[in-house]
Amino acid sequence: MAEKKTYERPVVTKHQSGIMNKFGSGPSTSVRDNIDGVLIKDLAGKFGSPLFVLSEKTIRQNQRNAYRVFKNRYPRVQFAWSYKTNYLDAVCSVFHQEGSWAEVVSEFEYRKARALGIPGEHIIFNGPEKSIEALRTAIREGAMIHIDHFDELYHIVELTDTETLKARVAIRVNMDVGVYPLWDRFGFNYENGEAWQAIKRIVANPRLSLIGLHTHIGTYMMSAEAYRVAASKLAGLAKSMHDEFSITLDYIDVGGGFASQNTLIGQYLPAEEVVPSLEQYADAIASGLFQLSIKPEDLPTLILETGRALIDNAGYLITTVIANKRLSTGRRAIIVDAGVNLMFTSFWYKHKVQPAQQPSVHTEDAVIYGPLCMNIDVLRDGIVLPTLKQGDRLVLNHVGAYNMTQWMQFITMRPNVVMVMEDGTVELIRKAETLEYLAQQEVLPARLKEKKSR
Amino acid sequence: MNLLLDSILYSYAQIFFSNRKWFGGVVLAATFVVPELGLVALLGVVLSNLTAAVLKFDEAKIRSGFYGFNGILFGAAAAFYFKLTPFFLVLIGIFIIITFLVSAVLEHHLAAVFNLPGLSLPFVLTLYVFIIFLTNLNGIESKPFEFTEPEFLGTLPDTIKTYFRSLGLIVFQSDMLSGIVFAVALLFLSRVMFTLSIVGFASSVIFVDLIMPEAGEWFLIFAGFNSILTAFALGGNLIIPSTKSFILSIIASLVIVILTGFFVKVLSGYQLPVLVLPFNFVVLSVIYSLKFRREQSDLVLLYFQPGTPEENFYYHHNRVSRFERFKAVVPELPFFGEWRVSQGHNGSITHKDKWRHAWDFVVTDEEGKEYANDGAALSDYYCNRLPVVAPLEGTVVRIVDGVPNNDVGAVNLKSNWGNTVIIDHGSNLFSAVSHLEPHATKLVVGQRVKKGDTVGMCGNSGRSPAPHLHFQFQMTDKLGDKTFEHPIGHYLEKTESGCVLHTFDHPEENMLVRNLESHKIIRRAFEFTLGDRLSFACSFDGESFNEEWEVKVDIFNSLYIESSAGATASVAMVGKIFYLTGFAGNKRSALYHFYLMAVQVPLCYEPNLVWTDRYPVSKAVGGAVRYLSEFLLVFSPQLHASASYRFAERSEESREYTISNSIQLRGTGLFAFYRKTLDGTLTIDAEGMIKEIRISAPGDRAFVATGITNEETSE
Repeated sequence: MAEKKTYERPVVTKHQSGIMNKFGSGPSTSVRDNIDGVLIKDLAGKFGSPLFVLSEKTIRQNQRNAYRVFKNRYPRVQFAWSYKTNYLDAVCSVFHQEGSWAEVVSEFEYRKARALGIPGEHIIFNGPEKSIEALRTAIREGAMIHIDHFDELYHIVELTDTETLKARVAIRVNMDVGVYPLWDRFGFNYENGEAWQAIKRIVANPRLSLIGLHTHIGTYMMSAEAYRVAASKLAGLAKSMHDEFSITLDYIDVGGGFASQNTLIGQYLPAEEVVPSLEQYADAIASGLFQLSIKPEDLPTLILETGRALIDNAGYLITTVIANKRLSTGRRAIIVDAGVNLMFTSFWYKHKVQPAQQPSVHTEDAVIYGPLCMNIDVLRDGIVLPTLKQGDRLVLNHVGAYNMTQWMQFITMRPNVVMVMEDGTVELIRKAETLEYLAQQEVLPARLKEKKSR
Repeated sequence: MNLLLDSILYSYAQIFFSNRKWFGGVVLAATFVVPELGLVALLGVVLSNLTAAVLKFDEAKIRSGFYGFNGILFGAAAAFYFKLTPFFLVLIGIFIIITFLVSAVLEHHLAAVFNLPGLSLPFVLTLYVFIIFLTNLNGIESKPFEFTEPEFLGTLPDTIKTYFRSLGLIVFQSDMLSGIVFAVALLFLSRVMFTLSIVGFASSVIFVDLIMPEAGEWFLIFAGFNSILTAFALGGNLIIPSTKSFILSIIASLVIVILTGFFVKVLSGYQLPVLVLPFNFVVLSVIYSLKFRREQSDLVLLYFQPGTPEENFYYHHNRVSRFERFKAVVPELPFFGEWRVSQGHNGSITHKDKWRHAWDFVVTDEEGKEYANDGAALSDYYCNRLPVVAPLEGTVVRIVDGVPNNDVGAVNLKSNWGNTVIIDHGSNLFSAVSHLEPHATKLVVGQRVKKGDTVGMCGNSGRSPAPHLHFQFQMTDKLGDKTFEHPIGHYLEKTESGCVLHTFDHPEENMLVRNLESHKIIRRAFEFTLGDRLSFACSFDGESFNEEWEVKVDIFNSLYIESSAGATASVAMVGKIFYLTGFAGNKRSALYHFYLMAVQVPLCYEPNLVWTDRYPVSKAVGGAVRYLSEFLLVFSPQLHASASYRFAERSEESREYTISNSIQLRGTGLFAFYRKTLDGTLTIDAEGMIKEIRISAPGDRAFVATGITNEETSE
């Protein structure tokens, strides 16, 4: 018996006059039916939908590639995994296995890193809020504390004085690197001399050892040149410290902020064409640091807190079509089972969306909505998609960064997260939330348990 | 007083080329078998050394017995040949001083002009002067010559008796017992010397028997002890012992027999004894002639402070195996990060003939690929536009720039080398990096560069179908000159389980190599500077004691660590690697265990970095096994001592760095049964202080030394 042909529903395509030509950049629908060889339908079948999938292989490749690119340009390089980008234990552990330290910005992240076996001396403690208790632990455990403001410095001084401890500290420096917006809310300003003031105060205190300088010039930086400026300004500070106080810094930390391959909403050209390559960032940073002309064996270690660029493309979201609908304007709308409560980055990026099954020949301009009963729940606007049926699967690409930390339980629960391991097996790394999980934190006052109001 | 006692004992030991006090003591005691011989010999050494001290000769030399042993020989010989009277004793005294003066002159002359030791020539000359002078006087009686021997030895075969008599006669002892004592003492001092004494003596007996079968015992004894002394000198004390040195001493005893025959006839006219003249004659001429060889690879003359032949052997061979390939400069790889050798020395593509000692480097990913994407564009290649750095400090002498990059797959045979920077490192050593990116070097000719300074970028100019770096050493500043073989000072090779340290070696094709990245804390632990003090609390065999170290500098300006437990270890830094080059003294000290744990330490930290080194056997193995094995030493060394080091991975909690070492002591051949492993760890704390040295053998109690930080001691 001949195979039954798949039914393709009719499509009405609006005729558009005045487009450049009929060949143009026609909608090309690439299919993703597997992640690292594991079929999407098997993944969704076993772990449900929606489902976050992470690729161990891609994470390792990203980290190794990044080490190679930087170490080929500067003799000492250390990466520190930015916990806030994705602090699932499994993800952090892969990075740590690849020789990455931990960069945390809160007490709970600090404790998470310690619980994963990272010694204090390999934890960089950033962030504007560090409680006295957190500082005390960090000092005792020899963590690198990046001081954000003078009040924090006073806390550290007080702690080290009362408990006769030595603290390993660095200051966070903000500066003008020629890009907008200027990030001046973190750390001490370079141009107005505040950073130098902070350095002098720290150097004067024998209980504080100033081991590094840190800056974080911004996020999703589209200019490598900004890093050259940042690195050379920090190198300048390091040189002044060397000349004035004979301090040889252990490290210079240029933070993170490298752009990933996601195209921003409002950006015309695709990211692959406008985002600097890792090589360009590395060239810029190394050339900035080499302005620090000291003996090669005294060169500070370059620390990188790269998050997004190392994890974004290792994360996928599998989602399922719930319904098709036509809007009043005639546009096609597709409702899927993953909303913006899981896909925070949908507010920033035009995520690449691929169907997981053979697409129809005809395509249609569409908008993808989530299941939330909220107008803002748009996963992707203005995307050309083949016709889809209820139950078809879509895969959102480059979702590894920030979604699995900024997600929330809102209307729907957070789903399973799995990791496709290097050997092709699939491990569940975070279980889907349940009502019981949600309820266990809640306390219902006894009087409210009664059926009627008294 | 100490100086006097030391100088006496060392002088006695010197007669047998030894520097052991106990041995000197035994020789001294043996000379008192006939008390008057012993007394006059003692007078000889005391008088010589006092004269040297009064005239303010170098104290260390006086202590070493350098000026005393000729006095002993003169005193003993005078009392051996003549009857003692008070007047005669005064005469002897005067001549002992003359002996000292002659030895001072000869020592200086032979050392300054020929770079030869003075041996016992001063004694021979002065004794001849003495004997001839005495013919002017009346009433000086020669002693009738007689050998005595303990009764219980009457049954020994004659040849063995003659052997003992010959040994005794080295210090003019007429009683055979002295000779026996010497033989036993030699056996304990050095198996090689004991064997040499028998080889020397036996061959002289055979040669005398062959050449002059008519010769009497007297001739046999003279030829015998000259042969024994010659065998000592040429077989192991002035030449590193080897089978060849043994053959040399056998040949030398033939010459000794002939020369003895010659001198007996020549000197008989003046009634002079032959003494040790043949020995001095043969040894000085052999040593002197050996200096003129083109290559000194075997029959190596002693080039360091002499010890027993065994010590000389171990020291020399250890030094050769550890440091022979070392060069005066320590070049590093001319790039950052890890690169792969795509073509090594004697490569199959272009590194042939005149250019066989060159390297090509590329960067590869985990799968071994040189490029991302499809490799059709230069920018796909990982090494494209990577910084290239100076391997060594020097002056830029030639820059070729402006040769355009080739497309992938194309080559430019017109300007074969492409953009090139050549640096002069001094002493006729030049390095060249080729196929660089055009217009990427910021250097100018004549500019000084430091090791690690960027000289350009990797590119694809010249005869280069894909971006790669060509690197070679050469002897001129010519572009494309023939290559010169020079090793890379140190680098790490990536392996399955970690990495391996190479020193003064040549990276081979397909190796993944990178430079050492010096580590602040490890560096702090091993960078000893003059005046540093360290303290340790030690426990060993249930005993607890404290030990202090101080870092000092010797007359050659090299650093060494001196321990309060009576030990020293010499320190050297070659590039980024710390070495302990030698150890002497107490083996129950923390310093000794530090020596075992830190014979070589790269000043970097890489988990699972492994490296190996060797110890001189005498520093690692003791006891009966080693003593017995030394009978076979020159034929093939039976024992080996090696170190296998590893940087341990750091545990989650500790902030320490640990070096583990498995010390393998093993025997080969007859001694294959001998096998011992010591496991040690050396722990460095987060401040860069040596926290703990721990070595244990299975079943044995461990030696543990714990560092006491200064803060604790001062507070």
